[in-house]
Amino acid sequence: MTVTATRVRDDLTVAVAGQGGDGSLTLIGLLTRILSARGFHLYSARSVASRIKGGHAAALLRGSLADRGGLGDVVDLLVAFDEEAITRLGPEMAADGIVIFDSSAGPVPQGVLPDAVVVLETPFARIAVRDLRRDLYKNSLAFALLSRVLSVPDAEALACMRLGLGRLPPEVREANAEALRRGFDHATEQGIPDGSGPWSLAAGVAGERLLISGNEALALGFLVAGGRFFTGYPITPASEILESMERHMPRFGGLAVQAEDELSAVNMAIGAALTGVRAMTATSGPGLALMQEGVSHAGSAEVPLVIVDCQRAGPSTGMPTKPEQSDLSMLVHGGNGEFPRVVLAPGDPGDCFLLAVAAVGFSRRLQCPVYIALDQAVSQHAATVAPFDLDVPIEPGAIVGGDDLAGLAEYRRYRVTADGVSPWVVPGTPDGMNLVTGNERNEWGQVSIDPETRRVMMAKRARKVASAVDDLPRARRWGSGNAGVGVVGIGFAVAPLREATERLAGRGLAVAGFQPRTLWPVLEETVAFVRAHRVTLVVEHNEGGQLLHLLAAAGAPLERMRGIRRCDGLAFAPGELSDLIAAEAGR
Amino acid sequence: MTATYTPRPAIWCAGCGHFGVQGALVQALRESGVPVERVIILAGIGCSGTIQNNLGTYGYHALHGRVLPTATGTALADPSLTVIAAGGDGDGYAIGAGHLVHTFRRNPAFTYLLMNNATYGLTKGQDSPTAPLVHPDRREQALDGILLGLAITTSTFLARGYSGRPEQLVRLIGAALDHARSGRGFAFLEVLSPCVTYQDTYPMWDAAVSDVDEVAGYDPGDRTAAFGACLRVMGEGRIPTGLIYRGGRPASLPDPAPARAVVEGRADEYRETLNAYRV
Repeated sequence: MTVTATRVRDDLTVAVAGQGGDGSLTLIGLLTRILSARGFHLYSARSVASRIKGGHAAALLRGSLADRGGLGDVVDLLVAFDEEAITRLGPEMAADGIVIFDSSAGPVPQGVLPDAVVVLETPFARIAVRDLRRDLYKNSLAFALLSRVLSVPDAEALACMRLGLGRLPPEVREANAEALRRGFDHATEQGIPDGSGPWSLAAGVAGERLLISGNEALALGFLVAGGRFFTGYPITPASEILESMERHMPRFGGLAVQAEDELSAVNMAIGAALTGVRAMTATSGPGLALMQEGVSHAGSAEVPLVIVDCQRAGPSTGMPTKPEQSDLSMLVHGGNGEFPRVVLAPGDPGDCFLLAVAAVGFSRRLQCPVYIALDQAVSQHAATVAPFDLDVPIEPGAIVGGDDLAGLAEYRRYRVTADGVSPWVVPGTPDGMNLVTGNERNEWGQVSIDPETRRVMMAKRARKVASAVDDLPRARRWGSGNAGVGVVGIGFAVAPLREATERLAGRGLAVAGFQPRTLWPVLEETVAFVRAHRVTLVVEHNEGGQLLHLLAAAGAPLERMRGIRRCDGLAFAPGELSDLIAAEAGR
Repeated sequence: MTATYTPRPAIWCAGCGHFGVQGALVQALRESGVPVERVIILAGIGCSGTIQNNLGTYGYHALHGRVLPTATGTALADPSLTVIAAGGDGDGYAIGAGHLVHTFRRNPAFTYLLMNNATYGLTKGQDSPTAPLVHPDRREQALDGILLGLAITTSTFLARGYSGRPEQLVRLIGAALDHARSGRGFAFLEVLSPCVTYQDTYPMWDAAVSDVDEVAGYDPGDRTAAFGACLRVMGEGRIPTGLIYRGGRPASLPDPAPARAVVEGRADEYRETLNAYRV
């Protein structure tokens, strides 16, 4: 190509695709450094076929000076290591996009890419094997072309790579540096000199940021809130929570246990929680179905417990690697009988940290199960966030220690109180012996089927959540304060909704956005939001409209709500969502 | 002194084997010298799942079949407690059998009293996985928890008692409590405990029990010999009892106890953990 003018980019989506194991994540990792040094906010997503290793994989990275927290409409720059990468991602390409293609196995397939897309073809794999004796070095060759396209100075690209591969043996690092230099030569041959490619990156202000996934942020939130006992059974897309816990717990005197199944995981967490330790378990839909009995038990026995559901596409084993929001009914209504519970729903990694802290606090304060509902995208995609506030107050709960107990004439584990929360004495405390049970019981913990006792105890448990309603996490709002049209979304629907709202404002359509962060109980502010708008569009990832019907059951006027839904495992693109909202608003 | 719940009389039928188990447990606990506030008894669901209400200790009533993971959580979170799990043969050998296998494998330091009456007494006499012990004509065969435990080579304590032999039972419960409390691991004690209402096995078991402790030269530290001895006794139509196996590697106990981990004032350490995610 011949570079005639350099276009400055402040919002760029890059995809690297090939067979799983090609090393696309390494390439994305290097690009992460280049972009964050220029103050770009990042959003990093993976699309993997549900296989152990191999299968087609794509890593996507959006860098933008505005904080987006989700993908854009199109892929601007594609690094394609095989033909399948073109056939799969070609249709997603921007009309003015650029493709860096590994032509080792043949030319670019025709008729897939938009006409104006520029294709830079180099046989990376062939060169890597021929000159450097290892296929994997094709990544460094491709990185050279990528950095030239973005007008990143060669010296910076080289320094970035040395830093990024810092943990590898020196000879491997040197071989990669050599691959990078050869890549620069190929770029020069293709007409892209050092420092002046077709695109350049805008200069923003580099801030103090973390790049972290929702699962990892949630694990840290649990730890910081005082969580010291975690159980889990591996399941996609929740496993990173178990892995993070196994990494962090030992240093802080906690324990992470991999259970033999989800039945064990939830009950082991309950057993630990009896001792006063803050306990949590995490799973996805199929595992949550197995845990229902345990959650109901914790609700009845009044044991504090945090349960994380990283939702994936169901029903049953569904699409394990794809996000969905179709467990909402199970979270809100699941489990036998009626018991107090709270369901929180974070929309991004920073929110995962905050709501994990809140979940530990409310489970402790109310002595009941608290759910945190994520989806695969919020769980596993990483985004840049401001560093977390680590000085969070620890909720002590109504624990009665030995000294306080000595001053009491009597102690009843399930004492009926105004807010429904009973003083809690943990095993090991002298003179505080008590009985804890999932059966109905009297104040002493003794099993009872007396109708009056039953009425009193049901009412006591119901009062607990009611007592905390004013303190439960509030919604996040965006967009116009006095619009006729409202949009509601949770989880991975939030980022494209925010961006769509901003674009619609540019088109002259005022829209108010609302992310409820407490799903259960449905807060009055949520119902009020629907009441305040002529029409509210509830955007969610399921077929039946579980969120919409949850709001309606809580008193939000059904005739003022319409659903925008998909359950195909894909996120909404902001442009697509803008059009859908505009069309619905005009009806 | 603070008044707490008043232990209730047991709900069991007159003559139930569980009275023998409870009496032996009370005596073994007394002999062990553990203060009552250090003891938590977690029970499953079934007739046996009410024993925790009767003794004045901390008590927990778990879900059916889930007493083992629950007790594992308690024992791991606070190893200073004397944790006793109790349940029946339906609880431990049917709905909870998967957990039994993994508890042998994991070897957490607590005692499990499995009160085996070869029937579902609370739901009025259906067959349990050990019913063929009493009815050899059944299509299915009985599960033997001791042989199962022997086959899992990380098990550390396997014993069987009989509520009709109280002196032996007190000794076995004492040994089990000692095994768990000293941190050696999971003490599994099956107690033959007849249900006089649906399956009165006293006459049968009085004649069938065969105490390995009375066999000259029996070495409970020899897993292979224990397996052979059990099979031999069972081959004669009898039921091996006594301390059948004790050995293996001790449990790995969390230190410090997660229940006593410091949770305040650690922001600087958290910050170091957070640094791994900086860009």
